[in-house]
Amino acid sequence: MTNLAIDHIGKTYADGTEALRDIQVHAAEGEIVAILGGSGCGKTTLLRLVAGLDTPSIGAISVGGQKIAGTHPAISAVFQEPRLLPWLKVGANIAFGGQRLDPTERDRRASALMERIGLSGYDHRWPRDLSGGQSQRVAIARALIGHPGVLLLDEPFSALDPFTRASLHELVLGLWKELKPTILMVTHDVDEAVTLADRIVVMKPRPGRVHESIQVDIPRPRDKLSSAFELMKRRVMRAIDRSLADDRPAGPRAFGPGGTSPWL
Amino acid sequence: MKPTGFIIPVLLGVTWEVVVQSGLATGRLMPPPSHLLHSAIGLAASGELWTHVAATMTRIGLGFLFGAAAGTACGVLAGASGLALRLLDPSIQALRAIPSLAWVPLFILWLGIFETSKLALIAMGVFFPVYLGVLSAIQGVDRKLIEVGRVFGLSSTGIALRITGPAVLPSWFAALRTGLGLGFMFVVAAELMGASEGLGYMLLDGQQMGRADTILVAMIVFALLGKACDSILVAISIPLLRWQDTVRASL
Repeated sequence: MTNLAIDHIGKTYADGTEALRDIQVHAAEGEIVAILGGSGCGKTTLLRLVAGLDTPSIGAISVGGQKIAGTHPAISAVFQEPRLLPWLKVGANIAFGGQRLDPTERDRRASALMERIGLSGYDHRWPRDLSGGQSQRVAIARALIGHPGVLLLDEPFSALDPFTRASLHELVLGLWKELKPTILMVTHDVDEAVTLADRIVVMKPRPGRVHESIQVDIPRPRDKLSSAFELMKRRVMRAIDRSLADDRPAGPRAFGPGGTSPWL
Repeated sequence: MKPTGFIIPVLLGVTWEVVVQSGLATGRLMPPPSHLLHSAIGLAASGELWTHVAATMTRIGLGFLFGAAAGTACGVLAGASGLALRLLDPSIQALRAIPSLAWVPLFILWLGIFETSKLALIAMGVFFPVYLGVLSAIQGVDRKLIEVGRVFGLSSTGIALRITGPAVLPSWFAALRTGLGLGFMFVVAAELMGASEGLGYMLLDGQQMGRADTILVAMIVFALLGKACDSILVAISIPLLRWQDTVRASL
């Protein structure tokens, strides 16, 4: 059953810049969909539209079959930066995500999530005392405390070192198994997309459009050293190459068939 | 004030005391610390000093209260509404450009020579920095934090109370401190424009009577009161701004 439906979305800014054109992405309940593409292909714009932080110029977004306009209680988000509120302690920052919960239930969930993200005992610390990875863990917990039907991830791991990133991938997958939200994530990291997603939607730029949708049929847990993982990465990289090649003006091709790909 | 802050004033005081006591200077226009202490004790014992302090502090307290309240209200209004900003800000900026002492004759004409005109002058001095501080702080609130509030379901009022309010708090306290400093500056002007009591009156009285010690005692009391009031504001702000790295560092 489709949980999140993005139907023929387009976004043109007041100055005439067309950021997105005719985006169609459907995600089933509990599915992880990664939106992949280079800078300027409208990934973050798309996520902002789904989050209700911006309005599409055309098209509709539905959650559980209901069209939505603006922010929605079923949709939660983790941003590129943790965006913790500096005046709230760690526990209160997590609880902040559960505005609509009964206070007792909110405290119970916050406490359980603190433990789940490995930060039990940190509830009375200030955000300034946390590392980047810890802050992002808190941001993930804050996004999940309300048990959202749809979780949006806007490149939340991009600023982290590879070790922290890998541990956060594990954390997200673990929490996803428990709560089963539909996850729509944007990333420019092919490895990350293949690690996490059930499906990868490759976008092409100017304006942002869907180029190709690739099903990632590798069973979890995924072994990054397996040939299946490597093959999937190559398939995705080729799709990115094709998306860029389509966008390139006619003339000698820098890479692609007969050229040197930056990916392969 | 940390002990190191006392080194320079104590050193200067001791040096001047030695210079006057050894007869190298008379100390008539610049009395030594012992003379000032003697004068201060005399003024305090007679109760005269406390009358002046009470008058000045009442004026500063009320003027600061009115000025800070009006500055905060106008700053919030202009910061929250584009229409209010367009309506209010040009007029307030134009009024700010008028030298504050230029208002004195008009205030006396409008409000009389007594307390009301003095309070109006002090409140006006406090108003502008508070207004500007609040307005620029609201305009500078991180849009990304506002978005967090929206994503997690806060209403406009919720965003104002739970995001904008706390985000503006450090700048508000900074603006209040600036306003308070200007309040002290303006109370002197207010008391010089016709008062029978107050530290400003004490300054004028000292000048007319040729008593440098009275003038200096009034100045020192001003400095002590100003520092004490500022410290009270800082003390109030510390528990509310504990989350800031800067406050923690200065503790």
